[in-house]
Amino acid sequence: MKGNSRLRQILAPGLIIMLGLAFAAGAQTYPNTTFQPHSELGRAIDFLWNRLLLLGTIVFVLVEGALIYVVFRYRRTGRETSKPPQTHGHAVLEVIWTMIPAFILLFIAVPTVKIIFQTQAKVAAGALEIEVIGHQWWWEFRYPQYKITTANEIYLPVGRTVNFKLNSNDVIHSFWTPQLGGKRDVIANRTNYIWYTPDSTMKSAVWNGFCTEYCGTSHAKMRFRVFTVQPAEFASWVAGQQKPAAYGATVASLPAGQATAPAGGEPKTSGTGAEGGRSVAIERPRGAFVPGADTIAAPSPTSGVQLASLPAGYTFPRNVAEFDYAKPHTPIPADMNFTKGLTGSAARGMQTYSSAACIGCHAIAGNPSSVGNVGPNLTHIGSRATLGAGSFPNTPAYLALWIKNARKMKPGILMPTLGLNEYDPQLKKPVEKAMGGLDDQQIADIVAYLSSLK
Amino acid sequence: MATTAVPTHAAPHAATAYDEHSGIWSWLTTVDHKRIGVLYLFTALSFFVIGGLEAEIIRLQLQGPNGHVVSAELYNQLFTMHGTTMIFLAVMPLSAAFFNFLIPLQIGARDVAFPRLNAFSYWVYLFGGIFITLPILFNVAPNGGWFGYAPLTTKPFAPGLNIDFWVIGLQILGVSSLAAAFNFITTIINLRAPGMTLMRMPMFTWMSFVVQFLLVLAFPVITIALVFLLFDRFFGTQFYEIAAGADPLLWQHLFWIFGHPEVYILVLPAFGLVSEVLPTFSRKPLFGYPVMVYSGMLIGVLGFGVWAHHMFAVGMGPIGDSVFSLVTMLIAIPTGVKIFNWIATMVQGQVRLTTSMMFGIGLIGLFTIGGISGVMHSSPPADLQQTDTYFIVAHFHYVLFGGSIMGIFAGIYLYFPKITGRLMNESLGKIHFWVNFVGMNLTFFPMHFSGMLGMPRRIYTYDSGQGWDTFNLESSIGAYILAIATLVFIYNFLTSRKRGEIAGPNPWGAGTLEWSIPSPPPEYNFAVLPTVTSRYPLWEGDERDAESARINSQEGKTADELHIVLPYSTIKPMIVAGSMVIMFCGLIFARPLIFIGAASMVASLYSWLLSPLEPEHH
Repeated sequence: MKGNSRLRQILAPGLIIMLGLAFAAGAQTYPNTTFQPHSELGRAIDFLWNRLLLLGTIVFVLVEGALIYVVFRYRRTGRETSKPPQTHGHAVLEVIWTMIPAFILLFIAVPTVKIIFQTQAKVAAGALEIEVIGHQWWWEFRYPQYKITTANEIYLPVGRTVNFKLNSNDVIHSFWTPQLGGKRDVIANRTNYIWYTPDSTMKSAVWNGFCTEYCGTSHAKMRFRVFTVQPAEFASWVAGQQKPAAYGATVASLPAGQATAPAGGEPKTSGTGAEGGRSVAIERPRGAFVPGADTIAAPSPTSGVQLASLPAGYTFPRNVAEFDYAKPHTPIPADMNFTKGLTGSAARGMQTYSSAACIGCHAIAGNPSSVGNVGPNLTHIGSRATLGAGSFPNTPAYLALWIKNARKMKPGILMPTLGLNEYDPQLKKPVEKAMGGLDDQQIADIVAYLSSLK
Repeated sequence: MATTAVPTHAAPHAATAYDEHSGIWSWLTTVDHKRIGVLYLFTALSFFVIGGLEAEIIRLQLQGPNGHVVSAELYNQLFTMHGTTMIFLAVMPLSAAFFNFLIPLQIGARDVAFPRLNAFSYWVYLFGGIFITLPILFNVAPNGGWFGYAPLTTKPFAPGLNIDFWVIGLQILGVSSLAAAFNFITTIINLRAPGMTLMRMPMFTWMSFVVQFLLVLAFPVITIALVFLLFDRFFGTQFYEIAAGADPLLWQHLFWIFGHPEVYILVLPAFGLVSEVLPTFSRKPLFGYPVMVYSGMLIGVLGFGVWAHHMFAVGMGPIGDSVFSLVTMLIAIPTGVKIFNWIATMVQGQVRLTTSMMFGIGLIGLFTIGGISGVMHSSPPADLQQTDTYFIVAHFHYVLFGGSIMGIFAGIYLYFPKITGRLMNESLGKIHFWVNFVGMNLTFFPMHFSGMLGMPRRIYTYDSGQGWDTFNLESSIGAYILAIATLVFIYNFLTSRKRGEIAGPNPWGAGTLEWSIPSPPPEYNFAVLPTVTSRYPLWEGDERDAESARINSQEGKTADELHIVLPYSTIKPMIVAGSMVIMFCGLIFARPLIFIGAASMVASLYSWLLSPLEPEHH
């Protein structure tokens, strides 16, 4: 009986762990699970996984069972009168248990090799091409077939094979959307590919993507979003993205002198007014994002959607409760502030933007002075759901803080701290006027401008 | 406790072997393999605690979403140093402690082949370990991961001193490992007692023998990779400079050609220790000894042909993926054989569940889990969902904690009485085992789930709502439990040294040669060199085994009385090691130090080589 109580001692902790995990499994949903694939690549992997799990479980139960049985069966009782039989081995047995693992491995090796060749075959003709360029720590996405450049967000039409062409601008990154397929490294001086087809039966949805190769300080915040949408929605999104920035016309009509005003200057009053368009009130967001007034209803069932029925400029609706996992919840650092009650002018913002350091790194199609190629393309920044590669929601409040001191929100990044008198954690000193520091009103103006770039 | 008959006059000697020369100076100048083993043991356990503290901070940070216990920069230094410390400063040197202490005793030798080189290895390890560990106090610790992938570690992307400490530190530690490896190979080949044929060597010595060859073959590869990186960083070469067109995969191939054999360097010594523990506490010879030898060798050989399974996501193409996948799967076969043979060793035995045995059985159970998940990512398509997620973290902690660390604990509980002359407290030992067992599984088992549910590795923070919160909380609680387990162990270890029960030569009734001599062994180990006639001389040897064991176990005489010539103590190996580290420091701190260090190294080495090892034989 002593053996039995010992057995319980061993099993009890294991059971507690298992129960704890089972409880955990019931209490939460898993938005990034690899167990519910939504592409043929994901399902091929899942097929292998299920076989590996089945065989692994059998081996686990047999080996651990044998181990526990043997330990308790042959425990010393203290009543032994002689030493145990001094066996040195058994040739037949040893041959048998050499063959068993080899035999089991056959059931893994054969489908493995088959699926390797199947999933790395040449992609079918007519696939959607997307160039993925990894940067520390954000993603550049280009659609060469549609001449679109965007950042940190991918739109894919369901049912169409997509072929990702992967390159890095700097260190090694890795491109992964767990629910859609496996990962592939993103390497400089080397082009990699991975392709898959989002299930055609899927309703429009958004998936989280991650960089999975350690790439430096903010590796953890190199995320992206993949929107798998209906073909009509995709076409509409493409049409919207292909247009130059909404404010391009205004920029072009401005006198050249104003577009190239000296950096860090006082906001110009001339040229702003009613035509400044949308203005945005900015306040510091409180803690984690709370679904707010801009909530839009969940996408309607997509059957019957006609291409013609959607005007250009579709974007996936934000703040859908079902897709809450795709909305960043990271609180902003406690010591960040923004003057309350400021109202930004988009027109003034455009001028400030076009004369500030911004244009050295960012491009906005339609704004001739903004042609930098170091940072993300901002042509349609207003249409994006997140900021800082999936780190924060793209709302005016977050955007204002981001412009003011992005380095506090995402460590190590190139995007400079721009707020006047803000402490730059990399330069380890406050930003001065001469360094291009912007006051809160100027930032509010820029936010109004950028938010309008739908 | 089953202490075998201890001659009454031997008891007072139990703790005196080291008391006679316990001054600091005697430790600095020792060339005795046993004392060097003890130095390794204490130093490596200290680094194990440091690496553990780093892990605890990591788990504090990840306990909940959006944690901010430490900054991103510090977190990246912590996970880099946790890996580097545990691999190079804790587990490898813990194995080295056993190599040092045990190999000469197990093969019936009076010391290693090159006693002064042995001391040199230790001092290089200590100074190198300090060199690479101290920067974390100044926020400039290495931050490129223990794998240091270029181009992230090249100057344009890592301009600070962090990676300099890593590159140079690993070079220093490599010198230590290589010197030790050559020393043990020579020792095992040349210094075996009469009758100690290769196929009579204890399994720990056998596995150590395999590991020394892995070290000799694998370390030059990382050395070359590091020299390239060092030259890139200090002298403007462009081996890894992507701006100059370098292929970033060069580093990965070189690193993993070293890195995968390194896994077996970490785990085979533990396999060896368990192969001593299981027969001892089953009172049965190891089942299938020849197959255990060959499977260990096969694991070592195959270990050089699987490195690219760390690179299934880099886009090698279907042929490369398939080949490395199949060879990786093959390794499961000899590994499986080892597990079956260990279990078979206990069949029909008289299994005594001592603490040591419990850790040994724990190794079989936990390593099996790591082995199974290892097969899971030997399949490249499946690995594309697993690699660089917490699933991998779970896997290799079951291999390295469940395998190496459990084996090393089994070895410590088994050999503590041989090393100190006193037994560790068994009650505390069993508490240690169970707390450790629960903590280990609670920490690492949930990581299988967080990984397969999409959590990438090496992230300093994660957002809420990703489905990872509960698993991370469980892992963190498990890590805190592991900390408690380690405290119990440290308390037991330190108090048993002074107050433990006197052990006698063979407290466990074990069968191998090291148990035929007093505990702790006299400086000269064996009063008469034994003649060996079987694998377990104390269990199944003939009269010659019994006779030498009888003499050796009772001997209380000094080396002089026995006319045994022992090597001189000398400070020179330490000075050479220190000079070498000063030379390397010059690269970072002040270039003149390079010349000062080099001059001092050459001078002290010259003096070392000209001084005799031991008194002339009479």
